[in-house]
Amino acid sequence: MMITNVSWQQVKDLLHQAMLLDPEQRIRLLDEACSSNDILRAEVENLLAAGEEVRASFLQSTPQAGEPYQYGISAWGGLASGQVFAERFQILRKLGEGGMGQVWLADQVFPVRRQVALKLIKAGMYDEAVLQRFQSERQALAIMDHPAIAKVFDAGTTPQGQPYFVMEYVPGLPITEYCDQKKLKIGERLDLFIEACEGVQHAHQKAIIHRDLKPANILVIEVDGKPVPRIIDFGLAKATTPLVAGDIPFTQCGHFMGTPGYISPEQADPGVEDIDTRTDVYSLGVVLYVLLAGSQPIDMRQWRQQPLEQLLRRLRQEEPPPPSIRVNSDRNTSAAEARGTEPRHLTSLLRGDLDWITMKALEKDRRRRYGAPSELAADLRRYLHHEPVLTRPASAGYRMRKYVRRHRVAVGIAAGLVVLLAAFSVVQAVQLRRITRERDRANRERDRATRMSDFMTDMFRISDPNHARGNSVTAREMLDKASKDLGAGLAKDPEVQSQMMQVMASTYSNLGLYSRAHELAQSALDANLRLHGPNDAETLESMAKFGSILFREGRFPEAEKLERQAIAGERRNPSADQEPLVEATDYLGFILIKEGHYDDAEKLLREAVDVGTRRLGPENKYFYLSHNILGIALLDQARYAEAEQEFVKAVEYSRRTWGSDDPRTLTSTANLAITFEKLGRLAQAESLYREVLAAQQRVYGPGNVATAYTMENLGALLVRESRPAEAEKLSREALAIRMRIHGPDHPDTFVSKLNLGIELFYEGKIREAEKVQRDALATKICVTAPEGPNCPVGRTYLARTLTKEGHYAEAEKVAREGYDALLRLSGPQHPDTLEAELALARALAFSRRYAQASQLFRDTIDSSSNAAGQGHLGGEWYDFACVAAAAGRSDDAFQFLNEAIRRGYKDVDNLITDHDLENLRRDPRFQELVAELRKPPARAATR
Amino acid sequence: MPEELPGQVTRLLHHWKQGDGKALADVLPLVYQELRRLAHYHLQSERPDHTLQSTALVHEAYLRLIGGKPLELQNRAHLIAVVSRLMRQVLVDCARERRASKRDGGCRIEVEDLGAVAITGDAELIALDEALEELSRLDERQGMIVEMKFFGGLTAPEISRVMGLSRATVDRDWATARVWLHRQMSRAAPL
Repeated sequence: MMITNVSWQQVKDLLHQAMLLDPEQRIRLLDEACSSNDILRAEVENLLAAGEEVRASFLQSTPQAGEPYQYGISAWGGLASGQVFAERFQILRKLGEGGMGQVWLADQVFPVRRQVALKLIKAGMYDEAVLQRFQSERQALAIMDHPAIAKVFDAGTTPQGQPYFVMEYVPGLPITEYCDQKKLKIGERLDLFIEACEGVQHAHQKAIIHRDLKPANILVIEVDGKPVPRIIDFGLAKATTPLVAGDIPFTQCGHFMGTPGYISPEQADPGVEDIDTRTDVYSLGVVLYVLLAGSQPIDMRQWRQQPLEQLLRRLRQEEPPPPSIRVNSDRNTSAAEARGTEPRHLTSLLRGDLDWITMKALEKDRRRRYGAPSELAADLRRYLHHEPVLTRPASAGYRMRKYVRRHRVAVGIAAGLVVLLAAFSVVQAVQLRRITRERDRANRERDRATRMSDFMTDMFRISDPNHARGNSVTAREMLDKASKDLGAGLAKDPEVQSQMMQVMASTYSNLGLYSRAHELAQSALDANLRLHGPNDAETLESMAKFGSILFREGRFPEAEKLERQAIAGERRNPSADQEPLVEATDYLGFILIKEGHYDDAEKLLREAVDVGTRRLGPENKYFYLSHNILGIALLDQARYAEAEQEFVKAVEYSRRTWGSDDPRTLTSTANLAITFEKLGRLAQAESLYREVLAAQQRVYGPGNVATAYTMENLGALLVRESRPAEAEKLSREALAIRMRIHGPDHPDTFVSKLNLGIELFYEGKIREAEKVQRDALATKICVTAPEGPNCPVGRTYLARTLTKEGHYAEAEKVAREGYDALLRLSGPQHPDTLEAELALARALAFSRRYAQASQLFRDTIDSSSNAAGQGHLGGEWYDFACVAAAAGRSDDAFQFLNEAIRRGYKDVDNLITDHDLENLRRDPRFQELVAELRKPPARAATR
Repeated sequence: MPEELPGQVTRLLHHWKQGDGKALADVLPLVYQELRRLAHYHLQSERPDHTLQSTALVHEAYLRLIGGKPLELQNRAHLIAVVSRLMRQVLVDCARERRASKRDGGCRIEVEDLGAVAITGDAELIALDEALEELSRLDERQGMIVEMKFFGGLTAPEISRVMGLSRATVDRDWATARVWLHRQMSRAAPL
């Protein structure tokens, strides 16, 4: 009713803003926004109050894959209420129906009177072999005796041979539902879960595996007002599953025998036949994950739409994010509400120990999982008692944080060049179309045109990676042959010849063969200049293209000059659709990014999008190119959320237009992966990288330059996940490709070396790291043309390495060079600059110039707090503390450590093992700090 | 649609037309599942239009069932919208019918699908339908988002793709719609 005076749009916008805020901030927001509008305020406040009451589950339409899916109508008649079954069970009502059969509530009348759950196995689910195993299994089931396990009273078969089980009737709720309904806190949830683990452990000791553990099978009932878990259906899966070698273990007659989302990877693997107790550990891990984070680790909600093999593959390969990250990335606050807390607090509760414990239970390789439910339970108890848990990898958190910033440039650049590859595909498509158009216009030349198009179809369609699909070796041979034919066969037709050269230049370029591409593109440009003069659209386009090849060769100034020339020409004398303008603008934007002129680049690129949309329609062929490059500009400026939007646009467009194996789709997907990585969505990023890498190797064959980018980016991610050795392997492979394709003096080869240096540094191979870094800095690009941020960043890295080795004086010199250059190039708040400043501060501190170092540090921290998205700076203060400690300033070091902890630093293990803090360890204050950090996480709430 | 077309749906529809009331109860869940599967399938596979043809049978069957006219499906977004709307009708009609007749099994949707919907009672479902109607009057787009998400079972990213909206917009519309609907429903029928 009130809405008549205020628009719903206004209400909606304000409501949504307010919903994202704390209560205090809400009031402030409403004060500001509704100063003169009481009606608006009343309406929003009223809705906010309603929002508080909205149940967590209200309108949750997303189905959970809870019960095994059964499609169609059950094949057997089953039971009916009132019926007497097997002479002693009075059937009361149906409790449920799953893939395996029906469960009925019944009154047992003989020999004792009690309510039981009667489970009848569905027809078609059993055969001779099953019946035999069923007989041996019922023996085992009878000997289980544990409070957390529902008792199996009896089992048998009907005269028709249909197996049935008689079990204790458990009128409880699934553990996850119970916990959500009662809003149990994390600790209370863990208590229940630990009890369930003990039940499973008991069964394992009797050599019984559950094989289908999931919330629906772990019910919670209240005994004397206290919740206790009770596991049902123990051993049923095994007792009734036929085990035929090669059979897919969880389907039988079209019915699932396990529950997607809860079954272990080995259960989902047709090749694995020896399922052991660790399969239950995995399923328990999933239950734990849901209890903590509120959703399943691997999203199985759409599993019905996926082919079985794909589903199985996902179960085996997809790495879920740790619970804290899942909670953090879910905008939904309901998970936190159901755990009696708020999202930020929930995230910090889960981060660390609970993440590690859960992820260890969820290891794909069962050898790396907890060996038994009791071990999982023991680690959880340690967590609850604030003792150090066993699983936690040393120092990972700290390394992770440091690495994030250090790898940035390399990643950004890597992202950049892959894109160009895609740009060329676009160019080529345009070219093809143009030639076709030409052909239509010139009827008299039809024969020749046909010859030419045949020639092209034969040669290029297969030679371009867009079409090669794994044939790139022969593609190369064909291309070489074709380019020879081109000179001789089409010499009489200079116009067509130049167009062909253009196409072939693009194709060579796609294959990473730049010198040949360069030659052809230059010839094409020369020919066009000769044939059409400098202002013709054709000429301008070939100019833009030649420029882009120069760019790929790393010859930025020359490339920039050509692109500007093309743009100027097009502006003077605009062609109808202004295609050359859009294209050249995109390339120029890209070049500017590489040169560090982000503002200019962004302005240009947005202009390109505008012109493209205006002239060529909203979904034009440059849509992809412009958005992709714009995404890179944003990525380079650490504007990740905006970058994500651009890449998503590019990926979606490309996939829709060219298909999912197309190089352009792969490129933009790789860029999206980088963005995910930046946003901390590591698991998502890794699985995207691997997807892209596999596709690239399939499409391009080995040793392609695009593959190298993906390897390097994946390597960066692996280092971040404390897997530097794996990363080193990938980086070396990538570097070899680059040396082969670009030679040592190319910027990409340079970056490749920097990457390798970083990995070596983290592996502790300091000498090797120094060698690689010096090698990189000695190449021509840093000696003769030291523009762009690459070389200064390289100096930052070298300075760090030198500091580590104790060469403080040289470290200082190198760091200062880098820092000065970056200040000039990227400005004082750019992460690269801050990193360089930090490196300089370290070098100064170690050479006993603490006052100067301290000044720089405070400056870094100030700048970081100004820069967007820098978090709480706990890590920066920690770094600061390390430097103070190294300089012998214990008091300062402790002050900074306290500051770091106050701001959220909590990696105790790193604190204990970090070499930089050596000087502090004997100080009693150090022990106090450690004790402080190990105190219950609940403290965070009271603070 | 020729009478001799194969398929369970057609057969059941035929029975229903000939006066077998139970056939309607059987066809609803079948069609519901199928439509839902199709919606997802279309969303995920990015198929060109020709696959729409293969689904036309189900649509036509269903559209006839509910007395509507067969329609031309223009694009995927249209299909998804239609499917979501149908699902809403199926569920709400069921609820209404069941409440009116006070009997069980007037229409049967797979338990699993209803289980996913945290709206439990018929009364609540009807209240939701009415509230949603109201919301659509205020903001048509927002109404569609709720319809697709709740009745169509689409995820937020899917909706943003189908409707060509940013993910943030979909999230914002959904979050505020939830609150609004909840208030509307508690006003209408205090629980």
